[in-house]
Amino acid sequence: MMAIIEAHEITKVYGNLRVLHDVDLSVGKGEILALIGPSGSGKSTLLRILDLIEPANSGELSVFGIDVVQERGRWLDLRRRMGMLFQRPIVFNASVYDNVAMGLRYRGASGDVIDRKVKEALEAVGLSRYIKSKATDLSGGEQQRVALSRVLVTDPEILFLDEPTANLDPTSTATIERIVTGLNRELGMTVLISTHDLSQGQRLAHRIAVMIDGTIAQTGPSHEVFREPKDRRIARFVGAENIIPGRVVSRSNGFTVVEAHGRQMLSATPPPAEEVEMVVRGEDISLHRREPGHEEAENRFPATVTGIEPTAPFVNVTVHCGCDLVALMTARRAEALGLHEGMQVWVSLQAKAVHLIARGGKDR
Amino acid sequence: MKTPTTLLTAGIITILLIFALGAGCTGTAPDGNATPTATGTAAPGGGGNVLRIATTTSLENTGLLAELERVYENETGMDLQFIAQGTGQSIDSGRRGDVDLVLVHAPELEQQFIDDGFGIDPRCIAYNYFIIVGPESDPAGIANMDPVEAVRTIYLAGTNNTAGVAFVSRGDNSGTHNQEKVLWEQAGYDYDTQVVDAGAWYVEAGKGMGDTLILANEQQAYTLSDEGTYLSFADRLELVPVIAEGAELLNRYSAIAVNPAQHPGVNAEGAAEFINWLTTNETKEMIGNFGTEEFGKPLFTPLYAPECTEPPFNCTCTGEVTG
Amino acid sequence: MVNGNPIIEGLIEAIELIVTLNPQVVEITIRSLYISLTATFFAALIALPIGALIYFYDFRGKHAVVSTLQTLYALPTVIVGLVVFLMLSNIGPFGFLRLLYTPGGMIAAQTVLIIPLLMGLTVSALSGIDRDKRYTITALGASRLQTVITIIAEARFAVMAGVLLGFGRAIAEVGTVMIVGGNIRGATRVLTTAIALNTSMANYSLSIALGIILLAVALGVNIALSLVQRR
Repeated sequence: MMAIIEAHEITKVYGNLRVLHDVDLSVGKGEILALIGPSGSGKSTLLRILDLIEPANSGELSVFGIDVVQERGRWLDLRRRMGMLFQRPIVFNASVYDNVAMGLRYRGASGDVIDRKVKEALEAVGLSRYIKSKATDLSGGEQQRVALSRVLVTDPEILFLDEPTANLDPTSTATIERIVTGLNRELGMTVLISTHDLSQGQRLAHRIAVMIDGTIAQTGPSHEVFREPKDRRIARFVGAENIIPGRVVSRSNGFTVVEAHGRQMLSATPPPAEEVEMVVRGEDISLHRREPGHEEAENRFPATVTGIEPTAPFVNVTVHCGCDLVALMTARRAEALGLHEGMQVWVSLQAKAVHLIARGGKDR
Repeated sequence: MKTPTTLLTAGIITILLIFALGAGCTGTAPDGNATPTATGTAAPGGGGNVLRIATTTSLENTGLLAELERVYENETGMDLQFIAQGTGQSIDSGRRGDVDLVLVHAPELEQQFIDDGFGIDPRCIAYNYFIIVGPESDPAGIANMDPVEAVRTIYLAGTNNTAGVAFVSRGDNSGTHNQEKVLWEQAGYDYDTQVVDAGAWYVEAGKGMGDTLILANEQQAYTLSDEGTYLSFADRLELVPVIAEGAELLNRYSAIAVNPAQHPGVNAEGAAEFINWLTTNETKEMIGNFGTEEFGKPLFTPLYAPECTEPPFNCTCTGEVTG
Repeated sequence: MVNGNPIIEGLIEAIELIVTLNPQVVEITIRSLYISLTATFFAALIALPIGALIYFYDFRGKHAVVSTLQTLYALPTVIVGLVVFLMLSNIGPFGFLRLLYTPGGMIAAQTVLIIPLLMGLTVSALSGIDRDKRYTITALGASRLQTVITIIAEARFAVMAGVLLGFGRAIAEVGTVMIVGGNIRGATRVLTTAIALNTSMANYSLSIALGIILLAVALGVNIALSLVQRR
């Protein structure tokens, strides 16, 4: 896959505030990449830099194979091959038609072309009946669809979406997601979407980049990022409920043995250091009424239920077994097990669900 | 934000754009000549058909100027523009050459203006009398006194805090104000040191004659007024003339052209023509009749030779001037 | 005139003067509108591009310039009158133009008076275009010139509101037109100076009539302003 965007050691500073540092990112042509991370981690700023809306303070950047740090004069041409949709629906104080036509007019398109494309685009987002309305009179969801068609009429080769559905209702969100995935599949459009919605990232993207504190902490397919976070901050952000400190005591049969709170656990991860943390997702922990067979999982041990917290349609069950573990299961399953506080249960946990990271790394 | 020329062009284009877009309500300034009267045009100063005359509020307030303007403009087509300022200010306008002619009533200031070489061709036109007006009750008891004695009495009553005694001064260096100063000096007081700060009874209005009369009326105070303005305001005033006689109260109006040697831009020719018109018998007759209909008596007495060359007038009131 | 309440009589006569389109009233009103509209036009011609330049350029002391402009919003009219008077008087540097006591001079004075207001309001109107909108314009592929045009077009109603405010200030002020215009009947007498003069002559009916018209103009400006701001 050919890289359409290559960024290396990008830094951006606003006044005294360092927003981005050491950002390395490569985006393949025709790829959908989701940039996930907490609010304020620098996702929007990075997208603006990649879309050539504002320059970075330092670093290397090439777009469409062109070194844009050297070739400032070509920014406008390159920018016209890309498009960006922002989080807040932005419409201008003009008709819907004029709003959608803006990008084409900037490019000097002929009246006929503009007319045809604008009508097609509005048809596609289901807003044809508002073509003459004032854009500012539309609802937020409608405005965002106007904004999307305004970007799409310019046929961008790369589409940047900055939290495009953060403020939208589920229906508008689904419409926009459907259009974006369709464009990617049919036209091979490269898409960079920033989102703080993990499931949206997982749903849409071929690859995920996790952005934390102004830099990209990890890049990879979504299952890798979710199952094998590189450090504690990523683990937290991707929603790993259990992060348990321990130390590596030995290796046997391809498993790493980690001791935590006097209990030994097996992990399939090679030891990254002596002092480690075990990252375990709640949904990987199974609870049983009686001792499960060894074919079930490498790690099996008894525990006491200390808390049950519903988060519909799931429940978080906290069990005590020397350390506290949080298991995530469906409410139906919890009901079937007849779980209640103080109840004795058996815990089973596969060794490959226990991911090890070095302790005392980048932690905040 | 780098290319200034692009931005500048953009700025200008878009400003025009904005006006085209929506500012129709401000963009359509009417043509300057579209005013209903021909006099509304913005004729450049100093032009041949505009004559600018700095004059006193007392003349403006009587309505005489409007009458002169109407007749003269009909006869000659000249556009007379009167700027009512008070005599001191009017003479200063003449000194600066901002006007072509002054029409004023302060003999000492006039003489200074001429002696300094700024004023030429002075002609006295008409006179009337200043009067001291005050409340009918006459709290200072000055009725039947001569003017100088009267102001001395007012001064003493004022400084003794006699109830109800107050004097309103124009305080604007106008002809009337200058006349008032002369009276204080004749009564033996130094105006700047003894009168101005003499106490709360001495009020400086800083306004024209009409305003000053209205102020004096509100405060039931004495004031010095020219007869013409008082008569034209009398129906709105409770004040009555208390002192109306005495040579000290003579009020003489003169026209003086601005010296074109000092200010080449002035309309000297127009000024000369207007002065000559003012000194014709027809004009003097008109001035002498002005106000008879409305106030029952004329507001001004025109000056004729040889009376005008004798005391107390001592001025020129005939003779063609050439500008 | 002697009988009855002069205020009520003045009011009745004033309405008569307006209804019958008294030539003097009409003339003064048109002159007032002409002078202030022209001044507003010239002020806009000067202030809007400069205001836009101030907004679009980043330079040292920009903040100070903007605060100075905001201070000058309340520039006392008589100070402007005095300064313009001295400039235009025969003894001043522009005396040769012979603009003192002419409508041209009054236009110049009012132009000077409202330029800071228009400039400052232009800057704030453009600043009202938020950052995301500017990003959107850039992202849509606008060149620098297209960006400037789009931003100004987007701020047009706010800019127009500023222009209207400037006109309102110009037509309502008396300080500069009295000093610079000289209140010459039939040449430089405008609504405000005519009101001042006729009040001092106790000619209340004409004053009230002109006052009603001035109020109506101010009201019209405010209505236009609210229409513009609603967009």
